[in-house]
Amino acid sequence: MSMTQNDSPTIETTVRTTEEQATDRSQPTGRPVIEARNLSVHYGDEQALQNVTMKIPDRQVTAIIGPSGCGKSTFLRSINRMNDLVDAASVDGDLLLDGTNVYEDDIDPVALRRRIGMVFQHPNPFPKSIYDNVAYGLRIQGSTDDLDERVEQALKRAALWDEVNDQLEKSALALSGGQQQRLCIARAIAVDPEVLLMDEPASALDPIATAKIEDLIAELAEEYTVVTVTHNMQQAARISDRTAVFLTGGKLVEYDDTETVFENPAHDRVEDYITGKFG
Amino acid sequence: MARETFQTALADLRAAVLDMGELVVKRLKTALAAFEADDEETARRVLQTDDQVNQRYLELESRCIDLFALEQPVASDLRLVAASFKIITDLERVGDLAANLAQYTLSRTAILPAVGIPEIGREAIDMLEDALVAYDDRVAEACRVVTSRDDDLDAKCEQASSQLVRNLIERDPIAATGNLETLIEDVESVLLTIRDLERIGDHAVNVAGRTLYVLEGDPELVY
Repeated sequence: MSMTQNDSPTIETTVRTTEEQATDRSQPTGRPVIEARNLSVHYGDEQALQNVTMKIPDRQVTAIIGPSGCGKSTFLRSINRMNDLVDAASVDGDLLLDGTNVYEDDIDPVALRRRIGMVFQHPNPFPKSIYDNVAYGLRIQGSTDDLDERVEQALKRAALWDEVNDQLEKSALALSGGQQQRLCIARAIAVDPEVLLMDEPASALDPIATAKIEDLIAELAEEYTVVTVTHNMQQAARISDRTAVFLTGGKLVEYDDTETVFENPAHDRVEDYITGKFG
Repeated sequence: MARETFQTALADLRAAVLDMGELVVKRLKTALAAFEADDEETARRVLQTDDQVNQRYLELESRCIDLFALEQPVASDLRLVAASFKIITDLERVGDLAANLAQYTLSRTAILPAVGIPEIGREAIDMLEDALVAYDDRVAEACRVVTSRDDDLDAKCEQASSQLVRNLIERDPIAATGNLETLIEDVESVLLTIRDLERIGDHAVNVAGRTLYVLEGDPELVY
């Protein structure tokens, strides 16, 4: 569409937001499921996260990007208290899940992780059958009613059912890398969590398997809140609704709608990072 | 700086868009000079070389698509490629309008009174040149100055059209020509030429608006 004299552009000055003014120019529109308030994490003397404050909305995909060592995986692992497993790790500030601080003394980390599933960079199926992998969490929970149906549903939601429905007793280790990753997603969602954390879920996969995982993430976001860490900025742009950019020192520098971050970031440092001028 | 090859490609794209702009402006000026001087040979040359602009457009269109596909630009890089992709379309259209002006120079019968087409043409060309300078220098204020001049150009075009109609009413041009069909063709050509010049101003505004999109990121300015 060409502009004519009657619809010439209306031009107004756009004011660049400074880093000091805000880390979050537009609040997420959905109900916040996760909220970090001044969250800081140290590994011994080293600070990995610095006063991170952000709200992660329900049933959307939030991507966390940034250079190596910027704290993005630390942030992800803070959400389900995986950092508890690191002796030297200490956490300050609040991390709320549905309004409850997950670092309160009376919170059971194991119960918390049932509500917050996690998928890792490298597929890590148990050396068991496909069926047993998906049923594993359900059995631990004691949720053995309708087990077959729940395994089938999880595999269907993970877009794997059609490929494995006639070989459920086969070893999960015999599946391809992409299938193993979708199996891990099926295992994570079988226990019906509220949130799915994904730490570079497609970085070890070929383009076809990656495309399937990306499609799957979009479908999963209809039912779950998805938070994914990725080094692949194009992937973050493709799959996420919101993008958080962490830069060196564990600082959240920008958090906004994905379109805004990739088309017109507010901060020069973010611009330099995503355009490849630094990092 | 990282991605040096890509940054060089972006600088080359910017330079090539400016080259195309320079070519289009030169052809416009030549066509307008031919119109003023009633120089049919020059007008014919403008018409015969219209393909130069089209070729440049196709080459740059292909270059932008390659950059999108291969480099996947984001942020200000994305805005530069997207805006350039649109600006070359504006320039290609202005190239066509230069050819229209040359065509009118060849077809007119010089029976109609002057309505200020050369002055309007110079104003429109000036706006386009200023928009290209703003694209080159990346100056937002210069973009805004270009857009602010559009209303004035539109008013001059409207005034020229009115003046032509008034002349037709007040005089008896048919008696002068003795040929109604020729008169109708001439009147149509003049009105279309005025409209073309007004559109050159619109394209200049588009170039300025898209340059502002590069500088400030307001997506409304590139749609």
